[in-house]
Amino acid sequence: MNKFLIYLSCFTILSLYFILTIFVFPSEFLLTEQLVPQPVFEAVLSETNIDVGDSFRLSIVSENIGDYADIHIVSIAFPDLIEIDDVVKIATYDFTLSPSYISVGEKIGSNYSGGVETTFAEYPSIEAMSRPLKSDVETYFDVVVTPKKSGIFDVYVKSIGIPHSSDLSHYPHSGTLDHQNEHVLVYSVTVNP
Amino acid sequence: MLISTMTTKSSQIFLKSNSEIIFLFGSILTSLGILLVTVGGSWDITNHLLSKPETFFSPPHALMYSGVAISLVGVVLTFVGWKNLQKFKHNYFLPLKIKLIGIGLLTGAGPLDFVWHSYFGLDGLLSPPHFTLIIGMFLCSVGGMIGISRYLKFNDSTSIVKYLLILAVIPVWLSASGIISSLSLPFSSTDFFEFNPEPTIAFIIASLAYPFLISLSLTLIFRLSNHQFGIMSVLGGLFLLIYSSTAIIPNFAMFDTIQFYSLNLIPFVIADIFLKMNRSKLSRFFVGGLLGSIFYLVYYPYVMYTFNEILLGKLVSPSLIYFVYFELIQTVLVYTIIPAIIMGILGMVLSVNLSKKILMT
Repeated sequence: MNKFLIYLSCFTILSLYFILTIFVFPSEFLLTEQLVPQPVFEAVLSETNIDVGDSFRLSIVSENIGDYADIHIVSIAFPDLIEIDDVVKIATYDFTLSPSYISVGEKIGSNYSGGVETTFAEYPSIEAMSRPLKSDVETYFDVVVTPKKSGIFDVYVKSIGIPHSSDLSHYPHSGTLDHQNEHVLVYSVTVNP
Repeated sequence: MLISTMTTKSSQIFLKSNSEIIFLFGSILTSLGILLVTVGGSWDITNHLLSKPETFFSPPHALMYSGVAISLVGVVLTFVGWKNLQKFKHNYFLPLKIKLIGIGLLTGAGPLDFVWHSYFGLDGLLSPPHFTLIIGMFLCSVGGMIGISRYLKFNDSTSIVKYLLILAVIPVWLSASGIISSLSLPFSSTDFFEFNPEPTIAFIIASLAYPFLISLSLTLIFRLSNHQFGIMSVLGGLFLLIYSSTAIIPNFAMFDTIQFYSLNLIPFVIADIFLKMNRSKLSRFFVGGLLGSIFYLVYYPYVMYTFNEILLGKLVSPSLIYFVYFELIQTVLVYTIIPAIIMGILGMVLSVNLSKKILMT
């Protein structure tokens, strides 16, 4: 009789264990709100009109105004270049990870999927990353650009927070789309011959 | 001259009369050292995933390198003890031999890792130096386990002393887990090499090897301890404690899941109770199957990365780990529960033969 009671208790506890761990806890935890990081930035051009051989500076101050971000990314792309070469130099950089240089043809993430969906880079870019970035912390990323050709020289800037849990997790929220099908702000400088 | 000769003679007498204790002490140190390396290693993986700033002098590295040093001292003591043994010399040779090979690989992996880093920069979880290191750890811990087990057997140790077996088996369990993780987790892609396992193969390895290992480790200690009640619960509880303190607590986003993880103590206690009440074939098969079936729960959270590769393909950043884990839990169980139960039973069956070989019965 005693043995029977012990077995019965064991099976009851085991059943409870499996119910709790497979059904109850998972649904409870899946109901908790995901973190929503909200990256924003301000970018300032030192010049909007220069001569060939002259340089301009693009200063970016980015911030996460939302929840804690596992990863905070600021990307600067150069649609008028084939390679970064010595045209772009990093002047200020305080992100926690080293900058990543992306070349034309390289496989890159797209559609804010963090690499799950991919495409190939059509122009070069530089990605700055901080892992993690708490709320209300500013990061600085300045580049000095010396275009080699005359014409309009565009720079695309965007910022993404990961986890990318909503449309608030990227900035800008609308406007021009880049080669990753992600929104960018365009900063243009006229380069005179 | 005379004093020197007398000192040498007295130290020889000391070594000969205490050789078996020295051998045991060496085995304990070897196992303890490997335990520290595995704990440090698990903590280090978490720090890498969280991208915490890393220097050579980080706490996980300190733990790992101290562990290697302690293991090295342990193997030297084992050798000294073995050399002066008056009895059981032949019986203690196997653990010594395994430890010597293990410590050779373990210490050789350091320079190899340095050369690898110099040529190829940062490496992932699976790389030739890391794999050498893990195999070395595994062999050292197996040598330590056999040494301790045989000492306890030959010296007819009491119930309390048998709990020393926990220190003998836990490093084997953790280092074997390290081997399985290296071969199944997608943490090994670098700029130079793509060592990430093929997702389907990784899925199969994780689904079969983890259940087998949990069941083997727990039923083996039960047999090595001559059916000591409570020993499986203590070993399982220690494993959960180590995993939670190195893989869950350091990630603040997962802190609340500790209560979920701690529930995994229940099947270990139930397994203990079942085998205490009845050691029939049916009871043993039930315990083996039960222990195998809970692998996805026991290896929370990192096992999720392996299954995510095939079943969801989501980007998993540190704060999303438990979301993806819980999203997958039912699907993973549907796919793996039967093979996991079978592998758990196999682990239990193998533990019978293995314990006989270890204890030379």
